[in-house]
Amino acid sequence: MARIELTGVTKRFGEVAALSDISLDVADGQFFVLLGETGAGKTTTLRLIAGLDRPSEGRVLIDGQDVTNWGAAERDVAIVLQQYSLYPRYTVRQNLEFPLRSPIRPTSAAEIAERVTRVARTLRIEHLLDRKTDRLSGGEMQRVSIGRAIVRTPKVFLMDEPLSALDAKLREALRAELKDLQMTLGATFLFVTHDQVEAMSMGDRIGVLNKGRLVQVGTPQEIYANPVNTFVARAVGSPAMNLMPGEVRDGRAIMGEGALTLPVEGAPQGRPLIFGIRPEDLQLGGEGVAARVSDVENHGVEQIVTLEAGGHRLRATAPVTQRLAVNETVPMAWVPDKVVLFDAATGRRLRA
Amino acid sequence: MSPRIELNNIDKYFGAFHVIKNVSLSVEETEFVVFLGQSGCGKTTTLRAIAGLETIDSGEIRIAGRAVQDTRPEERDIAFVFQSFALYPHLTVYENMAFPLRAVGLRRDEVDRTVRRVADVLQTTHLLRRRPSALSGGDLQRVAIGRALVRQPKAMLMDEPIGSLDAKLREEMRVELKRLHNEQGSTTIYVTHDQIEAMALADRIVVMHEGVLQQVGTPGEVYASPVNLFVAQFVGSPVMNVAEVALGEAGGAAGVTAAGAPAPFLLPSALLGQVAAKGAAGKPLSLGVRPEAVEVALDARDGFTQAEAHIIEPLGSHDIVDVRLGQATLRARTRSGFVPRPGTPVWLRLDPGRIHLFDSASGASLGVRL
Repeated sequence: MARIELTGVTKRFGEVAALSDISLDVADGQFFVLLGETGAGKTTTLRLIAGLDRPSEGRVLIDGQDVTNWGAAERDVAIVLQQYSLYPRYTVRQNLEFPLRSPIRPTSAAEIAERVTRVARTLRIEHLLDRKTDRLSGGEMQRVSIGRAIVRTPKVFLMDEPLSALDAKLREALRAELKDLQMTLGATFLFVTHDQVEAMSMGDRIGVLNKGRLVQVGTPQEIYANPVNTFVARAVGSPAMNLMPGEVRDGRAIMGEGALTLPVEGAPQGRPLIFGIRPEDLQLGGEGVAARVSDVENHGVEQIVTLEAGGHRLRATAPVTQRLAVNETVPMAWVPDKVVLFDAATGRRLRA
Repeated sequence: MSPRIELNNIDKYFGAFHVIKNVSLSVEETEFVVFLGQSGCGKTTTLRAIAGLETIDSGEIRIAGRAVQDTRPEERDIAFVFQSFALYPHLTVYENMAFPLRAVGLRRDEVDRTVRRVADVLQTTHLLRRRPSALSGGDLQRVAIGRALVRQPKAMLMDEPIGSLDAKLREEMRVELKRLHNEQGSTTIYVTHDQIEAMALADRIVVMHEGVLQQVGTPGEVYASPVNLFVAQFVGSPVMNVAEVALGEAGGAAGVTAAGAPAPFLLPSALLGQVAAKGAAGKPLSLGVRPEAVEVALDARDGFTQAEAHIIEPLGSHDIVDVRLGQATLRARTRSGFVPRPGTPVWLRLDPGRIHLFDSASGASLGVRL
C-alpha cells in the first residue's frame, strides 16, 4: 500500500523537456489515471515512478520516502505494459512464479504455490496454469501479465496502456476486471492511457497531460463538467465538446459574424470568448435557431447528429426515436447553464 | 457514375483454410458499406479480392455490371487506402499527391488544379510543401487518403485507414471521411474491427465472422435486431448483457432467471407462448439485454427485481453501472450520478420491448417480440 508523490519533476532528453515541473499526489489505494495523447509524457512519468529513469529535476516519493535515486528493484513496484512480456517457453504457472523467485525477496515454496493459486483464481486463469504462454489468446496473455504483477503484492501497480492492444469487447471486460481487482486489493494503481473512456470509467482521479505538463487533476466528473481549459474540454467526452468563438452582447452569445446567437447567463460583455457546450446539452426540436442537419449517425443507443449553423459545425446527441433527416433544417437550442466559457486568447476557463 | 459492386457466391481458400465462405453481397451505387469483424474473419481478404490483390477460387465479382474477377487491379478503376500509409518519403506531400496523376500523363495545370482541390477538401493545403517525415499520424493519413482521391475514383476501398491513430484523432477523421463521402459519392467499402466506426460511417454494415456473412443491415437494424449472439455482442458498447436463463411462470408473468441470480426478472407472459411457438421451450436459452434497456430504481417497485450496484463507470454524459444479482452481473446505463456509490441497493426491470432471446447452442436469435 502506498502513496505516490512527484514534486517539481522535470525530465529532459537532450534539449527536449519531456516533462515540465510535474507535481502529483496519488493517495494510498487510489486508482489514478494519466490521460494524454502520444508524446504527452505519460510513459515518461510512469518510468520515473518505476525507477527505470531518473528525473532531471524534482523528487519522487513513495510512502513519504524519497526514492528518487533508488533503482527499480528497490522500489517494490510492479509494471504491466501494453506488450505482454511473458516468457514464451514457460507455462503460465512458471511465469506467475517467476517474480516470487527473486533473490531480493525470497519466498518459500509453499507460499509461492499458495499465491499463484490465489492470483489465478482472482483472474480466472486457473484452467490455463499448465499451458505454455505462446498458446494463449491476447486477453489471456494480458491476464497473465497482470497476474505476474499482482502475485508479488507490491506497493504500487504501474500500468502502461495494458488494454490498448486488445479488441474492443475484451478491453471492456478487462476494464471492469481491473477496476474490480483494484477495489479488492485496495492497492494504489497508476494507469496510463490515451483512451478517455478508459480514464473516465476506471479512474478515481484523472490527471490530464499535455506536452509534458499536467493540465488538470480531478475526479472524472470534475474533469468532464469543469474542464480548466479548452484542451481538457476536448480531451474527455465523445463526441467532443463543441467550442465556438464569439462574444456576449445584450445577454446573448454571438458566435461568428452574428450568424449564430443563443441566450447565455452571467458572461462578461464585449470580451473575446469561446463558448463550450457538450453534445448532450444541445437540444433539437422545439424553440431555437435554425440548424441544418449535415449528418446523422445511428449508434443504436443514441444518434450523433452533425449540424451546421451560422458557419459552425456542431455535434449533438439525440434519442434514436427522434426522426432526423440529412439536409433537414431543425430548431436548435442549448441549455444555457451548461455553457462553459473560456477566454479566447488563453483558452482558460473563466470562473463560473 | 459511381458503380454498383456485386459479389456472387465468392469462395477463397488459403491452402486448406476456407477464408471466405460463399459470400454474396450487392453494394449499391454511392453506398458506404462497412465490413465489420474481428481479425481473421475474412473481411480484409474480401476487400483485397474486390481490389484484385487476391484471386478468388470460385464466384464472381462485378463492378458496374462487368465481371472483373479475372482482371488486373489497375483495370478495375478503384482506389485503395491501407492502414499503413505508403507515402514516398523523399517526395513532398504535393508530389505524393500528384504522383498518381502524373503516372497517367495528366497535363501539368490539371495536376495542379486537382491536387489543390483535394488538399482543400482534406484541409491539407498548408502541408503541401512538407515531407511525410514532418507530418503527424493524422496528417499522414489525410495525405494517404488524398492520394487515393486525386484520381477521382468512382469506388473506394479502405482497410482500417484510421485504425492506427489515437482515439481522439480517429474520431475527427471519422467525421472527415463521412463528409468526404457525402461530397464525392464514391461507392465505398470500408473494413474495420471497430464497431463505433462502423456505426458512424456505414449506410449498411456487413458483420463477418469466420468467413461467413452474419448479418447485413443498417446500423439501426444490426443494433436493434441482431440475428445471433455474435452480432449482438459485437455491436454496441458496452456489449449487450448475455446470460443463460431459466424460463418459468411467475405469478401470471414470465419469470426469467439468470444463472446464479436469486430471483427472476418479470416479463409479459406472452414470452412463454412465443418461446413455445418457436419450438424452443426446454432448450437452453440465453437472454440478451442492452445496458440502456435495464431500468434502474433506487427504491422497491412492483415488478422490479432487487440487486446491488457494484462498479460505477462515470462517462460524463451518463454512467455505466455494474449490478449484481447473486452471482450474476449485469450492466445498466443510467444518467450521471444516478447511483451514488458502489454497494447501493437497486431495483431492476428489463424493458420487454428490448429483450432478446437466443438459442444458447446455435446462438441464433429466436426473434421474440414483446
